[in-house]
Amino acid sequence: MVKGFQWALALVGLVLGIMLAFQFRVTKEINKTEPIQRAQRVSAEVSQLKKDRDSLQARVGELRATLDQLPAGPRDSELKEELDMARVLAGVTELSGPGVEVTLNDSNISLKPGDNPNLYVLHDEDVLRVLNEIRAAGAEAISINGQRLLSNTEIRCTGPTIVLNKNKRLAPPYVITAIGNPDTLEGSIKMKGGVAETLQFWGIQVGVKKIPQVTVPPYSGGISFDYAKAAG
Amino acid sequence: MIMPKPPVRGEQSLKKSVYLSVVTVSLVFGLLIAFQFRTSSSISGGVPVDRFQELTIEKKQVELDNAHLEQEATDLAAKIDEARKGRSQASDVLGSELSKIRMYAGLTQLTGPGVEVIMENPPEKDGSPSFYSIRDEDILKVINDLRGAGAEAMSINGQRILSTSEIRLAGNHINVNLVRLSAPYRILAIGKPGTLKSSLEIKGGLVEYLSANGITVAVQEWEKINIPAYDGSLRFDYAKPVQRG
Repeated sequence: MVKGFQWALALVGLVLGIMLAFQFRVTKEINKTEPIQRAQRVSAEVSQLKKDRDSLQARVGELRATLDQLPAGPRDSELKEELDMARVLAGVTELSGPGVEVTLNDSNISLKPGDNPNLYVLHDEDVLRVLNEIRAAGAEAISINGQRLLSNTEIRCTGPTIVLNKNKRLAPPYVITAIGNPDTLEGSIKMKGGVAETLQFWGIQVGVKKIPQVTVPPYSGGISFDYAKAAG
Repeated sequence: MIMPKPPVRGEQSLKKSVYLSVVTVSLVFGLLIAFQFRTSSSISGGVPVDRFQELTIEKKQVELDNAHLEQEATDLAAKIDEARKGRSQASDVLGSELSKIRMYAGLTQLTGPGVEVIMENPPEKDGSPSFYSIRDEDILKVINDLRGAGAEAMSINGQRILSTSEIRLAGNHINVNLVRLSAPYRILAIGKPGTLKSSLEIKGGLVEYLSANGITVAVQEWEKINIPAYDGSLRFDYAKPVQRG
C-alpha cells in the first residue's frame, strides 16, 4: 500500500513538473509576442514624452513669471493687468479661487434584462450640458480631471472613456472643477428640473460640492493656430 | 496495553505525511490553475492592435504639444532677453505678449479658411409655429463637433465663443455670452474647411439628425472668413493666478 502510494506521488510530481515548465514557457512567450512588445515600447515612449511635456510646461510657466516681474513703466502695470485677464480666458495659467467640484459617474442602477444599458451610462451630451450650465452660472475657469477647458475643447465619448483637448483620454468618475460663485454654481446644477435631476432619472450619479479654494491647472500643451491669423 | 501503541503511532505519522503532501500538491496545483487563468485572460483581453493604434495617436499628439511648448518657451525667452535691454523694450515686449495671448483668448478678430453653418427653424405651417424648433443642445452639439474637427475659433451670430461662453435656451431665444440671439443661427468656424464640413455631414451625423427634425442646416466652405472678437465686458471676481516660487 505504501509503495503504491509512493508511485502515485511520483507520478503527480512528474505531471506537476511538466505543467510548471509549460506554464513558465507560456508566460514568457506572451511577454515576447511582437504586438505586446511594440505596445510596451510605445507606451514607454509616451510616458517619457509626457514627462518632457510637464517639464516644458513648468519652464513656460517660469518664463512667463520672469517676464511679468521685469521692471516696467507706470503704463505697463495696466498692460500687465490686461495680460492677466487675457490669460484667464486663454487658459494658459494656473488659477485658484472659490468654486465647486461636480462629480459625474455612470449609473448605479442594476439593469433588468431587456433594459438598454446605453441609457444608463454617461454620454458626451450629458457632460456638455453640465458644462454649459456651469458656464451659464458664470464659471470663470473650468477643468475636467485636470484638463483645462478652452474655447475649442471638444468632449467626445468613446466607449467607457471621454476624449477631450485632442486625444486626451479621461476615465470615470469625471470631476469637473470650476472657479466662480460657489452658491450660483451649485444652484445651476441642483436647480429643480435642472441637469442633475434629469441625469439622476437614469441613475447617473451627480455630486456637487462647494469648496472655498479650488485650483484649475493650465492647458497641458502649447496653443497654436494653424489656420487662424489675426485680422487687420 | 503497551504493545499496540507503536504501530498506531507509525500509522498516524504516515497518515500525517500523506495529508501534508496532498495539501502541498493541491496548493501548488491551485496556484498553477490561477496563474494559468490569469495568463489566458490577459491574452484575450489584451488584443494589442487597437491599443497600439491608440498609443501611437497619443504619442503623436504629445509630440505636437511638446513642439508647441518648445516654441512658446523659445518665444518667451527671446522676449525676456529683449525686455532686459531697457524700459521701452520691456513695454514693447509686454505689448506683443499681450496681443499673442489676446488672440488665444478670443479678444482679437481672426481670419482664415473655414465653414459657415446656417441653421434655420422649420417653416411655419398654416401660421402656427412648428413643433420642433432649434434648441440650445442642437447648437451645443454642432459647436462640439466643429471643435472635434479642429476648429480654432468660432462665433454664433457675431458672438465669439470663449472658454466661458454658454449657449442657453431662454424662451424662444438662445443666449450666448449673455447676449440674446434668435434664429436663423449663423455659426462661423476657422479650421480646415473640408474636415469641418464632413464632421457635420458624415452619415448618421448632426446634419442628418437635425434635418430629420425639420431643421434646415446648410454648411458652406469658405477660403476666408472673419471671426469677430469678443466685445463684451471682462470681469473675473473669483479666479486668481497661482503664484509659484
